[in-house]
Amino acid sequence: MSHNIHRRGVSRRRFLQGIGAASALPLLGGIAPFAIANGSAGRVVVIGGGFGGATAAKYLKRANPAIEVTLVEPAEVFYTCPFSNLFLGGLRDLRSIAHGYDELRDRYGVRVVHSLAEDVDPDGHRVRLANGETLVYDRLVLSPGIDFRWNALEGYDEAAAELAPHAWKAGAQTERLKGQLEAMEDGGTFVMVAPENPFRCPPGPYERASMVAHYFSQHKPNSKVLILDAKDNFSKQGLFTAGWERLYGDRIEWVGLSGDGRVTRVDAENLEVETEFGTRHRADVLNVIPPQKAGFIAERAGVTDDSGWVPVKAETFESRQVRDIHVIGDATVAAPMPKSGFCANNQAKVVAAAIAAELSGRSAPEPYWTNTCYSLIGPEYGISVAGVYRVQEGVIAEVEGSGGLSPADAPDHVRALEAEYAVGWYNAICQDTWGTSV
Amino acid sequence: MPHPLLLRALSRRRLLIGAGLMALSPLGLSSAALADGPWQRLDAAGDLLRGTTPATEGLALELPHVSEDGSAVPLSVRFDASLAEGDHLAEIHLFATGNPYPEIASFHLSPEAGLPEISTRVRLNESQQVIAIARSHRGETFATARDVRITVSGCLMRGDDQGPEPLANPRVSLPERAAAGEPVEVRTLISHPMETGLREGAGGETLPRHIIERFTVTLNGEAAFTADLHQSVSANPYLRFHLSPTEDAEVVFEWQDDSGESARHEASISVS
Repeated sequence: MSHNIHRRGVSRRRFLQGIGAASALPLLGGIAPFAIANGSAGRVVVIGGGFGGATAAKYLKRANPAIEVTLVEPAEVFYTCPFSNLFLGGLRDLRSIAHGYDELRDRYGVRVVHSLAEDVDPDGHRVRLANGETLVYDRLVLSPGIDFRWNALEGYDEAAAELAPHAWKAGAQTERLKGQLEAMEDGGTFVMVAPENPFRCPPGPYERASMVAHYFSQHKPNSKVLILDAKDNFSKQGLFTAGWERLYGDRIEWVGLSGDGRVTRVDAENLEVETEFGTRHRADVLNVIPPQKAGFIAERAGVTDDSGWVPVKAETFESRQVRDIHVIGDATVAAPMPKSGFCANNQAKVVAAAIAAELSGRSAPEPYWTNTCYSLIGPEYGISVAGVYRVQEGVIAEVEGSGGLSPADAPDHVRALEAEYAVGWYNAICQDTWGTSV
Repeated sequence: MPHPLLLRALSRRRLLIGAGLMALSPLGLSSAALADGPWQRLDAAGDLLRGTTPATEGLALELPHVSEDGSAVPLSVRFDASLAEGDHLAEIHLFATGNPYPEIASFHLSPEAGLPEISTRVRLNESQQVIAIARSHRGETFATARDVRITVSGCLMRGDDQGPEPLANPRVSLPERAAAGEPVEVRTLISHPMETGLREGAGGETLPRHIIERFTVTLNGEAAFTADLHQSVSANPYLRFHLSPTEDAEVVFEWQDDSGESARHEASISVS
């Protein structure tokens, strides 16, 4: 089995060398003796085809086409969480946030396997797939995203998510939520349950509330949005609150932790939730964003700690617990970097550079990362927060004076420009990750 | 960056302490390392321990390894060692070693406070060690410590928070019924800025300290659970604790702040 994979990898490598020899040559100069003995520059398996995994696969090949890269991702089409709120708001169709793997396969020579990675054997350096295949790796990159802690919130399990969608992994769940919003009668209430930190995409719930309010303002003018939050503070709070007031008046109500906003029980069948101090709220459409943890394959690989997330070495994003496994994206403990697609994309490049260097006997270059989170409050009202990060004293730290937040009192045309930048950002990062833009 | 000589001196000192305790302790290095706990460098801990060496098993602190919001870090402390017949855990004290005032809170538990398991939310100024020290009614002591890293996530920048109205909206979650001797979980929440006295207002003036200092729960007039709170407790203090009443009880919850104001909540619980 592994022999078969190996041979296929080699022949693709030869093919690539043939067409790209000139550009590849300088990179091949420093190949480590062990890699030559192996007949390739090393085998890297990447699990997960989102912002992190797809970028890692591509940038590994860009760094050294002689590395055999296999990307494992069950879905043939990936729907991005970024901009899925715009689909809910009626600003985009679902196809516009769908991306595939043609560029990785055809242009970069990544072997793309559409199967689920079921288990990792860290000692044997093997990954077992649901299709029966076993992959052998020198380095493994996990970009597993998040999984939900079903029942951590009483009454919210997989069956409940069919009735009260989370839509926190984009695709079918997002469509379901959109369908419910469209079917809701005017005058109804959209109730969103927002989780405590840490969770995927800190500003996401508040952008979603904005987009649903926008949809209501266009189609269901007597409908309301209620956010029940397990936190007292949230991302870009001042900017969101001001934007809501400016565009939607009192259509959006936010209840924080101190106002008894933490939901402790969900009754999905009756679209009802109960808070910690016994207040019951009835929804016409109920969106529960449940507590989260690293995607399950991280647990199988033994890289998660008791928080359910993955501690990593700051310089290389290699697991602190298991050798030769690098983990990127939402699954990691990378704070102060947020759990965002942009961060996953950046972390992937750092990991690709580190692995390419180390496989050829060089040491990993010194990394830095950037992040920008755009959020749309309305179609022509965008806000953002940006940051630059470096390793300081062994941990990731925000570079002092870098980045920042949209101004609090900006005129409308600045908000409109930021809404345009948001679209530019989306197209650019999708182009960078999957080679597709809309 | 400490001077290399200082580092060497420090490590020699550690080595000596380690070796010294190892000779005394049959458990060897691990207990020596634990006995050299961070509470030894905390003045307040000395007053509480009164020369005793605290047991390092039995008391557990739960905090996230990394917290993205130092203004409200969830903290739980739990005691699950067994004590001598007739003894009970009477005090739990929490300290944030890296805060300007390390005291977080002190809890006083009567036998009717049931299960010694308490949760709250605390302010942590920076990455640091949080310490818990507990005493039983008869003077047995326990200690534990936990490291917490505080970062502010790039996507988590907050807006201007308007201070909540002091002592507004007291909330209590208490079951209506309990089985005799079985602890029930109680949760309380109240609005209060818990102003530290260290913060500057918009005009650059120091905002005066204004905190809830004491929270008391009585069962039929007898104190069952009290908490002395300090500046390191988060705004809008939240407490989760336990009661195990032995008979039907009128339960009175009272919050007192340092301006002399207070809030009350009354409830009853029937015991079968």
